[in-house]
Amino acid sequence: MSVSWSVLAQEADTLAASSVSSVKSLPVTRAAEEMRLTGVEPLVSDAVRRFTGVQLKDYGGAGGLKTVNVRSLGSEHVGVFIGGIQVDNAQNMQVDLGRFSTESFSSVALYNGQKSRRLQTAKEYASGAALYLEPAKPEKDAWRIRARVGSFPTAGAAVRRDKVWKDLRLSAGAEFLYSGGRYRYRFFDTTLVRENSDIRSLKLDSRLEGRLLGGVWDLYLYAYGSERGFPGPVIRRASGFPFSAERQADQDAFLQGGWRYDTGIPYSAAVRFKLSDSYTHYDTHPEKNPMALPYDLHFRQRSAYVSLAQSLALGNRWSVDLSTDAQRSVLQADRDYAVKPERTTLAAVLAGRYMSPKLRAAAHILWQGAWDAGTFRGAWMPSASLHWEPLEWLGLDAFVKRSCRLPSFNDLYYIAVGNVNLRPEYADQAGLDLRLQGRHLAFRVSPYCNLVTDKIVALPTATQFRWSMLNIGKVDIAGVDTRLEASNTFGECKLQGTLRYTFQSALDHSDPSRQTYGNQIPYAPVHSGSVNLQAEWRGWTLAWETSVTGHRWSTTSNTADYYLPPWTVSDVSLGKSFGIFNVSLRAGNIFNAQYQMVKGYPMPGANVMLCFGMTYANRNASKPLPR
Amino acid sequence: MAFAACNGTLFPEKPSIDSDLKGETVDIAGIAGFRKLFVLNEGQMGSNNASLDMLRLSDASYITGVFKKMNPEEAAGLGDVGNDIAVIGDELWIAVNNSGIVDVLSAKDETEIAPIQVPMPRSLAYDNKYVYVSSWNGAVAVYGSDWSVDSSQSKNPTGAVYRIDRRTKKVEGSVEVGYQPEGLAVYNGKLYVANSGGISNFLPPTYAYDKTVSVIDTKTFKVEKSIDVEINLQKVYSDGKGNIYVTSFGNYYSVHSGLWQIKADGSVAKVSDYATYTAIKGDTVYCIGNENEFDYLALPEWKTWKCKAGAAASWTINLDGVNPYGLAALSDDSFVIADAVDYFNPGNVSLFVDGAKKWTVGAGICPGHFAIW
Repeated sequence: MSVSWSVLAQEADTLAASSVSSVKSLPVTRAAEEMRLTGVEPLVSDAVRRFTGVQLKDYGGAGGLKTVNVRSLGSEHVGVFIGGIQVDNAQNMQVDLGRFSTESFSSVALYNGQKSRRLQTAKEYASGAALYLEPAKPEKDAWRIRARVGSFPTAGAAVRRDKVWKDLRLSAGAEFLYSGGRYRYRFFDTTLVRENSDIRSLKLDSRLEGRLLGGVWDLYLYAYGSERGFPGPVIRRASGFPFSAERQADQDAFLQGGWRYDTGIPYSAAVRFKLSDSYTHYDTHPEKNPMALPYDLHFRQRSAYVSLAQSLALGNRWSVDLSTDAQRSVLQADRDYAVKPERTTLAAVLAGRYMSPKLRAAAHILWQGAWDAGTFRGAWMPSASLHWEPLEWLGLDAFVKRSCRLPSFNDLYYIAVGNVNLRPEYADQAGLDLRLQGRHLAFRVSPYCNLVTDKIVALPTATQFRWSMLNIGKVDIAGVDTRLEASNTFGECKLQGTLRYTFQSALDHSDPSRQTYGNQIPYAPVHSGSVNLQAEWRGWTLAWETSVTGHRWSTTSNTADYYLPPWTVSDVSLGKSFGIFNVSLRAGNIFNAQYQMVKGYPMPGANVMLCFGMTYANRNASKPLPR
Repeated sequence: MAFAACNGTLFPEKPSIDSDLKGETVDIAGIAGFRKLFVLNEGQMGSNNASLDMLRLSDASYITGVFKKMNPEEAAGLGDVGNDIAVIGDELWIAVNNSGIVDVLSAKDETEIAPIQVPMPRSLAYDNKYVYVSSWNGAVAVYGSDWSVDSSQSKNPTGAVYRIDRRTKKVEGSVEVGYQPEGLAVYNGKLYVANSGGISNFLPPTYAYDKTVSVIDTKTFKVEKSIDVEINLQKVYSDGKGNIYVTSFGNYYSVHSGLWQIKADGSVAKVSDYATYTAIKGDTVYCIGNENEFDYLALPEWKTWKCKAGAAASWTINLDGVNPYGLAALSDDSFVIADAVDYFNPGNVSLFVDGAKKWTVGAGICPGHFAIW
């Protein structure tokens, strides 16, 4: 039994899924957004910020924390998956997308609601929204080299080796990135330069995939080391004192893999595992900054994860899946936690699917239980999704879903704030996704409503010097994501344009006695959108993008004192490929807009990056011989 | 000592440009004896939104954001985390903790006189010549005149007290005290400094709360002795008769808050429980607190200490939904209480007369400190 790597690649790659004849391997509902990563921009967060319904929270600079929030659920509800296995962080439940490079992955996709596909892990059913990063899966031998240099100043180099054998393929890469993080910004009537914002990072990743016992196995090793400064918020500060001297060093590594047996007989299965270790050293360096509190802290998080997914086909159209996951996470810290932070999580999902060319439907029920130092938290999370394609040019997706996020170790155990009695925080979602697909035009409109209950909120206790985490928040969210895409070819010239617009109302309904009841939650813009235009001609690529984010508030008090003005940022890039080489020049924020995504953290103004790439591929792709 | 006593007569409001400021009109029946009550809103750390409000008796108005309105040239506003406020003569001194600034304003019209650079200023006290500022900076590091730091110096989280000449507004030296000093008070040539060690919570277990009061001779400006009291000390009051009162926050679970007395002979005794929010007025120290600092909804206990009689008593007011974050006694039966609400959104300030709430007005973020002029 043998299939070519390209067919396997298509099966695994949702971008190509529409061309696969087998309906069975499709997800029930389609990805809201998906994008091939070309490597022109270095960080995954640079690509994801375009997606509709996504709010990137960026503290600025290459080293600033970058998290994504989808449809105002909160970034803790957004699962980030690499090759189908979750990247998790039990300490604070947030994944920094700035740590992932476009060099390591071939594509990124966003799923609202529930991605439902054969042989998923149970965890894939557990998050409110999901971002999927797919590692590169080579189809032929190649060397790929990329170097970049740019503002702040920034310099980076990446090399990747793809090797394909008959029953084995390898993609291994290394990347170094340095950014000085120095950029000018306006602070009221003065212009300052961002200091202590530099980062250097080294990433190594390696993926090996092969065939064994009629199935496909893979191993993926990812290692990341970085050292960075945190520039701190921009505030009024006596001129003789620096804003910050804080530094952080990180060393993350994980090994994951699995074996998947899915060959056409009614029963198929996949086993997966992951071992991860992440270490952080945070130091405020009070000897360099008289304004610093003397923190010198070390954290080490370790986790082990196993998953068994099984699928049984019942005839041509029906199938039922049972996926079971187990995970153990431990946090070691020299900071004083009230309880030793450790967690054992079990999750099981039963999923039923009906797949036909015009109608796909699924229902799932997930149970997740977590044992934290003797405390048990369990939750049931049902969901249902539907895809209907009555006409060739018309498709409709719908989903309803309940999901929850567990309290993080910080929520539970931080000595001054933690509350061991926290319950999980729930998100109930319902959404529609209507798409019209023509030859040159595609239109998507996707209304949704979400309700976040038992939201974990930090509140001062009776002694307000001591805070506590409490399940008291409630947020009502309603919105609509829209996207219009147009493309056409005129001779050798290919033109593409995308217009995106998101409306969202995210209202705080926590406490009717408060004056802020019914106000828009912090940092959620009511209106946001972007325009993207791209032209390709004889190896030249010219792209323009303008993104607009409407006004926001930094607190739930929607008054003038806490108003954050709207901002517009335009980027332009020009690329040319000739032979095995390609060169691109990207000018970011060309109108030098001064803006802050997070109050107190100015974003860079106008900047440029020059990127040089070379791909030396073996002309003859290795074609496995039929057996 | 944030709450300076004032001496009596009500002066008519002098005409100044701040008389153009308009605020919310409130009922001032039952309060008198001062011109302005200043309210310092701490703001949220890192958000640069400390702000100054005032209750002006001349036109019975509560005006928010006074600093920004009267000092438009300070475009960044008051700064990040206002930690203490004191009226000293006709000046208003404000410790802006995370800005590294002690800002001196005119109490008459709130215009800035001098921003003074002090690392991590916490609380203020004064005598005839100096203003004393407790500071969380590393005491071992000797900062040069340009505040440059010798990198060979090791980390040391003990704090210091800086003294600033009241006339020249220049820093004239500092003295090392205990860990994270908070409140201080001057009596009879001695400066009493409460050391908290309050960030030990967030540090490795080798760090612990401080439990000492440093006693500094104001003539030599050297630490004379250190008195053991209780862990996590916060405020210091002098009753003007030789007794010093110190509050302790405890560790919030096994050791609870309390009020401690240091007598002139140096003896130390606990005189009251539950002293999370305190204020002194005349002969009485007013305390609010409770046994269970964990409990968000726990009802407060109300204690007082009568300094002259040397006796504990109790008091009470009907909080009527107000959750105290700051307390000031205007007289024996009128109090202002600040509520920080959720720490994140603007809080409010309420006036209580004869045990009942008269009004509540919106304030800035985390209102918590008061001073009377």
